Amino acid sequence: MAVPVLALRGVTRVFDGGAGVHAVDLEVRPGEVVALVGLNGAGKTTLLRLVLGMLRPHTGSVELDGVPLDRLPAVAWAGVGAQIEYPLAYPELDGATNLALAARLHGVPRADVGATVAAVLDELDLGRYARVLARRMSLGNRQRLGLAVALQHHPRLVVLDEPTNALDPRGILLVRAAVRRRADAGAAVLVSSHHLDEVARVADRILVIGDGRMIGTLDPHGAELERAFFALVHDDALSRAS
Amino acid sequence: MTAPTVAGPGTLTGLRTALAVESAKVRASLVLRSTSVLLVAGVCLLSAAMVAAVRAGRTDVTRKLGPAVATGDWDAFLAVATQVTGAAAVLATGVALAWLVGREFSDGTVGGLFGLPVTRSTIAAAKVLVYLGWAAGLGVVLPCALLAAGLACGLGAPGAAVFAGLARVGLLVVLSACVAVPAALAATLGRGLLPGVATTVGVVVVAQVGATLGAGTWFPLTAPALWAIAPGTVPPGALATAPLLALAVAALTVLAWRRLQLDR
Repeated sequence: MAVPVLALRGVTRVFDGGAGVHAVDLEVRPGEVVALVGLNGAGKTTLLRLVLGMLRPHTGSVELDGVPLDRLPAVAWAGVGAQIEYPLAYPELDGATNLALAARLHGVPRADVGATVAAVLDELDLGRYARVLARRMSLGNRQRLGLAVALQHHPRLVVLDEPTNALDPRGILLVRAAVRRRADAGAAVLVSSHHLDEVARVADRILVIGDGRMIGTLDPHGAELERAFFALVHDDALSRAS
Repeated sequence: MTAPTVAGPGTLTGLRTALAVESAKVRASLVLRSTSVLLVAGVCLLSAAMVAAVRAGRTDVTRKLGPAVATGDWDAFLAVATQVTGAAAVLATGVALAWLVGREFSDGTVGGLFGLPVTRSTIAAAKVLVYLGWAAGLGVVLPCALLAAGLACGLGAPGAAVFAGLARVGLLVVLSACVAVPAALAATLGRGLLPGVATTVGVVVVAQVGATLGAGTWFPLTAPALWAIAPGTVPPGALATAPLLALAVAALTVLAWRRLQLDR
């Protein structure tokens, strides 16, 4: 079995008031799309923030290619692409400039930036927004621009938080195809969502998080996905109450 | 479709990349452009207006501004320009720096600055360097604009002393930018624009109060303005306290970005 690109081992991070994530174990291997589903406030975004180093765990460790984040050399982040909550898109810059600057920040050599930007503009059908300032873009197009920022350098690990939230149906298809293409090329993908139908179409595995704990898995090809999800959430609530 | 070659940058390449990115953002920024215009135009207009009033015989203006402007010549013009620049440059550069750093938090783009081969501390250092570069540019543009404004006011051909005074105004802008660097730390610790702006206002107030109470030439917030007004009274060592303050606070800001967590 391939070594996981991403591994969380007993990760706990608790905020004042008790919210957070508790003793989370998770692995994502090359070529697989793992979806993290849960109700609002279940801890999905907190978990993704831990993966990107936006938060440090109180206990446990987050590892990329087996190396804990606190010992990871900066260069290793060149193989990661992510969008969590807000897109890395500056309102005063146009689409192409935002992509070009992000490509450079992700380690794409200067000589390759033009081709990288052109390819992702084409892939996510953003060509007509190349010279449009990000502040003039609709919410959905800004989100698509942020996803292009995360995907354009073909990272080995893709981390996306609710990637299709503001997208129209065509945008959803484009992003789904782009994510699948990255995974088929060997990338490990971790994506959070609360759209069960959507994750069922793209994920190889679905993990359910509830109240900051991993509470079970769902079969992406199984029938009655919604019913199975709520059964897990309900059983977890009962077990914690008893 | 082929994947681009992704190479993680070394520290120097990382800084070069971060400088290129931050410079592009600054060039496109309406905030920095309008701040530059407001500072340059404001100082020129106020200096020209005051000297024009003195030359028109407005004794009330002369009384308020003191004997230094009574002559209504280049010396008077530069005295007003230096006094106005002393306060206005700290305010203008501090607000610009607060925006440069704080906007990442208020726009939500700070999240995208995690998980990059260019480290956050490198990005923070690039922000301060680009800011100082912008301030240095202002330090050239403002004296040139003042020279043009003085000539337009009919003050006549400037002598060597006038050029020395203009150079002091230029250096005052850069030293004022140094004094305003705490805005970067405040915007980082306060996770937004407003703490940086509030700190800038605080710096201006403390500097004014310090000057009024005679805080002395070794107080970094007042030393640059005191030197620009009366160069002989401030030793070079005292003047160096402003860049030293900037260096120390910039180092703390870089450290804060390195240890940053999005936990609020």
